[in-house]
Amino acid sequence: MRPENYQARSQPPSNEFELNFGPNHPGIEGNYAFRVKLNGDQVLEARADAGYLHRGFEKLMEGRLWIQNIALVPRICVPDPVPMEVCYSLAIEEIGGLEVPERAKWIRVMQLEMSRLAAHLFAFGGHAATTGMYTTMFWGVADRDLILDRFEELTGGRVYSIYNIPGGVRRDVPEGFLDRLSSLLDYLESRLPDYDNLFFTNQVFVKRARGVGAMTQEQALKWGVTGPNLRATGLEFDVRRDDPYLVYDQLDFEIPTESGGDALARNLVRRAELKQSIRILRQVIERLPSIEGPIRCPIPNPLAWNVPAGEAYTRVESSKGELAYYVVSTGGDKPYRVHVRGPSSMHAVQVLEKLALGARLEDIAQIMFSLDACPPEVDR
Amino acid sequence: MSKLDNIPVRHQPTEAAGRKRTNPLAHVFDELVKFCQSRSMFMLHYCTGCGAIELPPAMTSRFDMERLGIQPMVTPRQADILLITGYVSIKTLKRIILTYEQMQSPKYVIGICSCTVNGGMYWQSYATAKVLKDYLPVDVYIAGCMPRPEAVISGMRELMSDIKSGRAQNWKRYYENYDHYLGNQQKLFGEDWQTPTDIIAEARHYGLMTDRTLGEHTALLEKHQRPLEALEMRLSAREKQKT
Amino acid sequence: MSKDLNIWLDDLLGDIENIQFKRKSSRRVRVDVGSEALPALLELLQGRASYVHLSAISCVDWIEDEEFELVYHVWSYETRSLVSAHTRIPREPGVYLSIYDLYQPAAFFERDIHEMFGVFFEGSPDMEKFILTEWDGPPPMRKEFDSEAFVNQHFEWEQYHPQWLKDLEEEGGGVTTRPEDIRL
Repeated sequence: MRPENYQARSQPPSNEFELNFGPNHPGIEGNYAFRVKLNGDQVLEARADAGYLHRGFEKLMEGRLWIQNIALVPRICVPDPVPMEVCYSLAIEEIGGLEVPERAKWIRVMQLEMSRLAAHLFAFGGHAATTGMYTTMFWGVADRDLILDRFEELTGGRVYSIYNIPGGVRRDVPEGFLDRLSSLLDYLESRLPDYDNLFFTNQVFVKRARGVGAMTQEQALKWGVTGPNLRATGLEFDVRRDDPYLVYDQLDFEIPTESGGDALARNLVRRAELKQSIRILRQVIERLPSIEGPIRCPIPNPLAWNVPAGEAYTRVESSKGELAYYVVSTGGDKPYRVHVRGPSSMHAVQVLEKLALGARLEDIAQIMFSLDACPPEVDR
Repeated sequence: MSKLDNIPVRHQPTEAAGRKRTNPLAHVFDELVKFCQSRSMFMLHYCTGCGAIELPPAMTSRFDMERLGIQPMVTPRQADILLITGYVSIKTLKRIILTYEQMQSPKYVIGICSCTVNGGMYWQSYATAKVLKDYLPVDVYIAGCMPRPEAVISGMRELMSDIKSGRAQNWKRYYENYDHYLGNQQKLFGEDWQTPTDIIAEARHYGLMTDRTLGEHTALLEKHQRPLEALEMRLSAREKQKT
Repeated sequence: MSKDLNIWLDDLLGDIENIQFKRKSSRRVRVDVGSEALPALLELLQGRASYVHLSAISCVDWIEDEEFELVYHVWSYETRSLVSAHTRIPREPGVYLSIYDLYQPAAFFERDIHEMFGVFFEGSPDMEKFILTEWDGPPPMRKEFDSEAFVNQHFEWEQYHPQWLKDLEEEGGGVTTRPEDIRL
């Protein structure tokens, strides 16, 4: 009900107006907002407005034990939580000088790729929904759920697994898990042509997404773009291959690239990465049974564990780009400082602000979903 | 030690909710309205936290909430249910209250995830509000971190049966105890907190004024109330720098 | 690859005084540099050694030394190595130079550090509040800010302690920590 003291403000006549876009808006991924200045429906200026998901992770982590933080970190990026746990564990292992057993490394790679598959299915499903193609979203989310079932079997958690701990993983692969994963991969692979027909080669989508949010390789490098978004501009770079961690240097996979740099190219890169992830998972399924040994190295009593003083900067390739943790220890039972560099802290803020210039209002949602921006990584 | 069966899983309101009209036709009409309300619930499409990740599976092919008559809706003015999916940071809580006040009655709030109950794992965090029901009347809590889609759907069904039986009357409490809720909000957001919706006038309109609607906090609201004007939107700090 | 890198870096770093250089692994290099020489170092790294990607700027609050440590992580796509340049600035007044004209991604990190630690970067394009727009307390990531005390002061907890929970606690279960279980 409008209050009695409401006064309409008279504005000078102009074509330009400003609009609050989000946080409560279906075209925004998560809880995030923009303020856009428009001329007609053309964006003249866009400003990101974050902080709706701020929980102060970095502060919370300073107040909790090293091992307790494993439960906190996956919450930083909800659609793709496994790289968070792995990256944090890698940092502690580097500081503490822990030798991770070979088998644990392979299990971690398996999880990372499963998580990437799930996140990509979710990402282009979301993009499809913003262009009005809800079927793709329904299929993508339903297929992602099958991966979550395997996560549940392996780790006990559907979304947050809290399965990687410093020194290895919590428990071994259940009996028959690899067979079920293998048949899941067969199923997903058989779905890919369906997705192509429905979405990636669908002219409704291709015409809508071509040229939207385009950037050149130079711009991408200048703005700090990473991950699939960088590969969509033609640069063949992947942390998994170029700064290898775990056992990625023993695996055989390709790095798909596209040259367009627009929303279409970014989605095609993700489509190609689905295939590569399946390829990696098949190699893991083949190799894992032959690798015997423990699944974690002995660590001290985790409730009274003083990680030696030191610092480490570890990077992994998450489904959204380069994810890095900077961890400082002063020899206490809690971290002294943890800094999380989420890939979306570039994509969702500066890159999006720049790509939105000159775009039309309805394309902002497309640009955001095609960059696969994840707001909780910005806010932390 | 208590038996597990003795542990109350759900608080049952003691008083018989809603008044039954004596005219049999009117009674039938009321029942029909309640049935329809419980079978067409539009939930607001607002992901406030990480629990929102389990909503797409619940809404799409696998669990398919739509078979129960639950659908996402994009505008608060046409929505029935406000889902609070997870922790609420203070910045979000302001938007949630603005959204809640814009929704048309009857309206229902569902708190998903443990964080809405008591802060959850972010209990130490300076940036999140802890007990959601201090700021809004909550109808159903769904605990878990995060609850599975089945749990979300079962919570929705709980709310449906509440609406059908007329027990879900919590939205009235916002008008009846507005002073209490406003006081908690002011404690968090500062004394000059105000929203564009005139809750007191609405309470008068619905006939829900009680002696707890007005109080010291609403007096403070009137004292600090500025005339509402169109929101001034500053786009950039860059403009400032130019001058 | 790493030999070339060594030569490059030695070449480069010879130009700068007051610098410590430590190789942590084949792809990680730690450089400690005085705060006055850091922009010059980054300029050299970017211009002559292809370290074009600023991965992150991390800030660490060393409250006992009355100093902030700023760590600039830069990555080279060509030599495939990461240089972490550490520098320290005094905690008061907490002002430093922006590197925005070298690396554009710095704008986000500098804004974030300004908000969380209160370090001001001169020349950064935007020092407005971003995440904590509705927060008027001290910069929360500083070590002297106690989040737990703030929470206990500003928030109330759900009071829920029914009889069945008390019964459970008498038997040694429940959520209350017994004095002998508290770990110090």
